[in-house]
Amino acid sequence: MFDLSDLQGNVLRGYKDKPYVRYLILEIADRVVARRWLAAAISGRDHDVPQITSGDWGKAKPRTCFNIGLTYEGLRALGTPGSSLAMFPNEFIEGITARALKLGDVGASAPDTWPSPFNEPKRIHLIATIYAENVAQLDQVQQRALDRNALTLLGMREGNNFDGDFVHFGYRDNIMQPRFEGIHDPERHADGQPLAPLGTVLLGHPTNLEGLQWRVPQPTQLGHNGTFNAFRVLKQDVVGFENYLDQAASDLLTHPKVDEVLPPGGELKVCEVFEIEPPSRHAALREVVAAYLCGRWRDGTPLALSADMPDANVDRAKFDYDESSRCPYGAHIRRCNPRGGHIVQRVANNSRRLVRRGVPYGPAYKRDKSGDAGKTEPERGLLGNFIGASLGAQFEAMSCDWLNLGLQDPRITGSNDPITGTNDPATSWFDLPLKSGGTIRLRGLPEFVSTRGGAYTFLPSLSAIRYLGSLTA
Amino acid sequence: MPDNEGLMDRFVDRLPETAFFKFVAARILTPLWAWWTPVKPLPGGPHPSFQHGDNVQCMMNLIMPLKDKSPVGRAHAAMAISQHKDAIFAGLNNVGTVHFARFVIVGDNICMFSVYDGDFTNYIRDFIATIGEVFDAVVGLVEGGEKVIPCDKNVEAFIQWVHERDLYQVPDTPTDFLRDQERLNGDKAVAPVNDDLTLLPRKMVLQLRANANVSLGSGYRAYPGYSVAQVRKQLGLGW
Ligand code: HEM
Repeated sequence: MFDLSDLQGNVLRGYKDKPYVRYLILEIADRVVARRWLAAAISGRDHDVPQITSGDWGKAKPRTCFNIGLTYEGLRALGTPGSSLAMFPNEFIEGITARALKLGDVGASAPDTWPSPFNEPKRIHLIATIYAENVAQLDQVQQRALDRNALTLLGMREGNNFDGDFVHFGYRDNIMQPRFEGIHDPERHADGQPLAPLGTVLLGHPTNLEGLQWRVPQPTQLGHNGTFNAFRVLKQDVVGFENYLDQAASDLLTHPKVDEVLPPGGELKVCEVFEIEPPSRHAALREVVAAYLCGRWRDGTPLALSADMPDANVDRAKFDYDESSRCPYGAHIRRCNPRGGHIVQRVANNSRRLVRRGVPYGPAYKRDKSGDAGKTEPERGLLGNFIGASLGAQFEAMSCDWLNLGLQDPRITGSNDPITGTNDPATSWFDLPLKSGGTIRLRGLPEFVSTRGGAYTFLPSLSAIRYLGSLTA
Repeated sequence: MPDNEGLMDRFVDRLPETAFFKFVAARILTPLWAWWTPVKPLPGGPHPSFQHGDNVQCMMNLIMPLKDKSPVGRAHAAMAISQHKDAIFAGLNNVGTVHFARFVIVGDNICMFSVYDGDFTNYIRDFIATIGEVFDAVVGLVEGGEKVIPCDKNVEAFIQWVHERDLYQVPDTPTDFLRDQERLNGDKAVAPVNDDLTLLPRKMVLQLRANANVSLGSGYRAYPGYSVAQVRKQLGLGW
């Protein structure tokens, strides 16, 4: 078994019992003091600096967790040697804002519209994340983390997980994560997918693309067992989403083939599961549309296993796609992970998998039927982390070719992901597959999710943090 | 003196066509200009775009100088391709996003021209994963190629190396060309009104000095862009 004690804990663990998460976005104020801060964060001997949580908790489960990621500018600010810096991948060196077109960060998502501190990407050096059981703990750890001349706080983002792992738009999230070769992972049972080679998430190990390994920045201590993270502040238009469900359900109600997506009488079961009173076909069709867009009913039931109604008894993780699957080719989870299904890029099937760590921000949304119109809503969204050993081969490849072009299947090419894609209602479309063959095409999907900030960070191993803390030049 | 003015105009207009002027312009003025206003080579490949239609049927144009500049060297290059014909077809099938791949020898260069769908790095990476040995065989014959092979052990460096050799695609409109230069220099996009477009030929001359080989335009299609799989599906070829 692989030794987890050299990894930062958030790479392979979800910290499920620490629902409060705060991101401190930091600039290195003084290289020498910052190195000392890193060294202290590793040793844990200096009580003034929170200790980095490793992947091996030993016997004492920590009450709070603390992890860090460094941008390219951050590595530079610490004085990492130029020869090491040059070995980092291009996309990381350029930084997330330079990759805007690939990521669909255009229009309302364009980096030049991002609020502080993301409007000054070069100043973002280090992102520290605190995970805790409550806000008071977050504050305590933050105070310890900042009580030095090492770092300047540029800004913060904060969220907390909702009960039952629900996220805005009302879906249950946190169901799928890759399972890794050589890693003991009691949280997850077999999901029928091949185990992901360790190199999917850690530098220096074999990847899913046969024979390919990513470059490990040298010295080995620095690069080996490190990984990369795309941190994204993703604003979600919850009202727009619910309104779209209304509109699409109304359109479907009068569609001649509507019974194929909701069998007559099916509304009773759907409304029962989602506790909708009084039950109606329109209300049930809203759920049907939500389910098709994601590939899962909002309670997490995969469409691939139960397309006619949500079913708490089916396995949420273990399923595959084939030509007869009722999960749309363009649904969010099928785009992000086509599993064993037939796709254009045959070599890519399992090669773009990501570890996802997300937390919703903004208050939970309760739909008020008396009308949301005119009410100003607080900002809501997801603070998402998309982790993988190669940003280019995983996060970016997924974002540009799969989410925002639909290259993997000719039936969706030229359309964007219905949930997180950069959609324009004038041209967007989404097909609901029908049992009898054929499809019903939905149109007019707006951009439900817009990017409001982000950074590419390197998540160093503990040896690497020790190394960075000991730099002298 | 309208007549005299006409004469003068005609004289000046014809100046650029005189042998003397051409010599001065090419051998003296251009290098002087280039020294005065240094111009960086523009990066190759398709222009970054978010439009679906711009992201299918993209062009890659590689012109790679052979190490061995002799008929023997050229023959080696020809053999490297023909010996790997089967692997190339297998690669096209498995990568699934390449419309055409053409290999051409011009002068002492082996050229690889292809039309592919989607992101360039994904295309090259997937090819490395399927038929890396073909890349190794070809790139091994090219100047500087030894630094990036075997490609499956140097994925990032190999992709970068190929990207650096992909020809700059000169946009059809002067404003787009100026935009590319601004982007390269890290300038904030300047409204085209701030640029005197009459200076364009000079900027273009200097750019073509920095990028000696270029692609004119990004390929002209007789029909809107479709992906390989869309074409194959429509024709019932399986995809
Ligand atoms: C605010 C924006 C987003 C929302 C609301 C959202 C929501 C969801 C939901 C509800 C699931 C199903 C739960 C699960 O399978 O664990 C899911 C799965 C997933 N999402 Fe997202 N997502 C968002 C953005 C993204 C982005 C930007 C990416 C990638 C670039 C992404 C990648 C994935 C992946 C890889 C899966 C797992 C699919 C599988 O393995 O079956 N998501 N997402």
